[in-house]
Amino acid sequence: METIALGAESIIYKVRRWDRPLILKWRQTKPYLFRDIDSQLNRLRTGRECKMLTMARTLGVPTPAVYSVDLVNHTILMDYIEGTQFKQIVDTLSSTRLSQLCHLFGRLIAFLHRGDIVHGDPTTSNLIVDDDFRLWMVDFGLSEMNATVEMKGVDLHLLRRALETTHWDLEDIMLKATLEGYTQTLEEDANDILSRMNEIRERGRYH
Amino acid sequence: MIMTIICLGLEGTAHSFGAGIMTDRGDVLSNEYDMLKTTQGGIHPREASRHHTELGPMIIARCIENAAIDYNDIDMIAFSRGPGLGPCLRATATMARTLALKLDIPLVDVNHCVAHIEIGCLESKFQDPVTVYVSGGNTQVIAFAGSRYRTFGETLDIAIGNMLDVLGRELGMGFPAGPIVETLALDGSTFYTLPYSVKGMDLSYSGMLTAAKKLHSEGVKLADICFSVQETAFGMLAEIAERAIAHTKKRELLLTGGVARNNRLTQILEGVAQRHDAKFHRVSSQLAGDQGAMIAWNGILQYNAGHTIKVSESNVLPKWRTDEQDILWRD
Repeated sequence: METIALGAESIIYKVRRWDRPLILKWRQTKPYLFRDIDSQLNRLRTGRECKMLTMARTLGVPTPAVYSVDLVNHTILMDYIEGTQFKQIVDTLSSTRLSQLCHLFGRLIAFLHRGDIVHGDPTTSNLIVDDDFRLWMVDFGLSEMNATVEMKGVDLHLLRRALETTHWDLEDIMLKATLEGYTQTLEEDANDILSRMNEIRERGRYH
Repeated sequence: MIMTIICLGLEGTAHSFGAGIMTDRGDVLSNEYDMLKTTQGGIHPREASRHHTELGPMIIARCIENAAIDYNDIDMIAFSRGPGLGPCLRATATMARTLALKLDIPLVDVNHCVAHIEIGCLESKFQDPVTVYVSGGNTQVIAFAGSRYRTFGETLDIAIGNMLDVLGRELGMGFPAGPIVETLALDGSTFYTLPYSVKGMDLSYSGMLTAAKKLHSEGVKLADICFSVQETAFGMLAEIAERAIAHTKKRELLLTGGVARNNRLTQILEGVAQRHDAKFHRVSSQLAGDQGAMIAWNGILQYNAGHTIKVSESNVLPKWRTDEQDILWRD
């Protein structure tokens, strides 16, 4: 068993079962949280992630398949996707390739939104680029169904925020390509959501 | 003899007006402030700016007297240029400009949020922290990346201090309600589940606030409401702070702003730091809230990096974003 990531939310292990590599995602107990909140969140997010990985796939978003889930220990066993986190290779790509991948990122978010689902944490850390430059979306623990324009606007706001804090030197071309992919997919349905995104950015601090 | 730079910093972004005097060695010579207290709670921008205009000159005079210096000993003036309430910023900037012109010394414009972080770094000796900045008007998780301070997460609706004050008003407490909520929460025993809303590295408090008010109308004990609200609100904040630490891989966690005075919040964030082997520091009470010393200190950092501003270009910036300022003194 090999630890491949220690995130804020979980530990990701690479395991070998049935003669193939798989991912075991474990949401650990957080000792600093009040225990009721901690156990409710872990149970909710583990269950939700399983369901949403499948839902997303039915909407056309590539996601790892789930093999089993344990709602007591808060673990999920799923496909291991051979590839690299998008975040890690952004700086190594040509601008054409980068725009292409961001465009695809925008399309995938649009597929989810068209099905009234928001990802909840749409960052370049939660995308895996495989050897054929296909994008896989992971980490659906914060995703939600029955999404409203407001929720979709928040999703895009988070996406922009992630680009600006993580890829500040490439933010302009990445955001442009991502929103293009998004708008081309959703067409006029994108307008309300995009203007909501801009509105949300202005809230939260007093002016 | 080595010359020391003495800076007078004026803070007035919201309901507090402060004047602080610092040296470039990092000594606080004096730090005087006054907060507008309203019977109803909440801030009316015009009322607050009147408070600053009326009390400002007296607070500045007291600050200089307490520092045991003379007006002519001041080498530079720094002021909070934004972000904040327009009328308050303008009242404060007017005093700063007048002093700079009268004393014929340099004027430096300071970003309020950045000043909170830098005074915290001075006190904690932290080099490069993830900062949780929590006050009546702000709830932000900020870290330095790519020559700017960037907001990794923040509230999508109301600030944590504002949420506590509104709750306090509904529950019939005084203003500010934060300390009362903290005390009452100690007697809470039953936890009521409230909406827990974390989105990416952002969070939202309005749903939780509505649900907490509803508990009150259903007759739930005040202590239990306060307890449930604190655990939920601080839990969300801890989660986004942890996300920022995991994401940036920084090894220091700084807690600042008026709500940093809360002991339960401190305890929870200490737990976050521990889990990631990070150092933790809570900014001391007198430097955590809005005051002039932090403005003075940031002014010195900017001045030493070669930045001053002309009076004619010193218009206030009510919507000045944290990541819009070049951080000249860090690399």
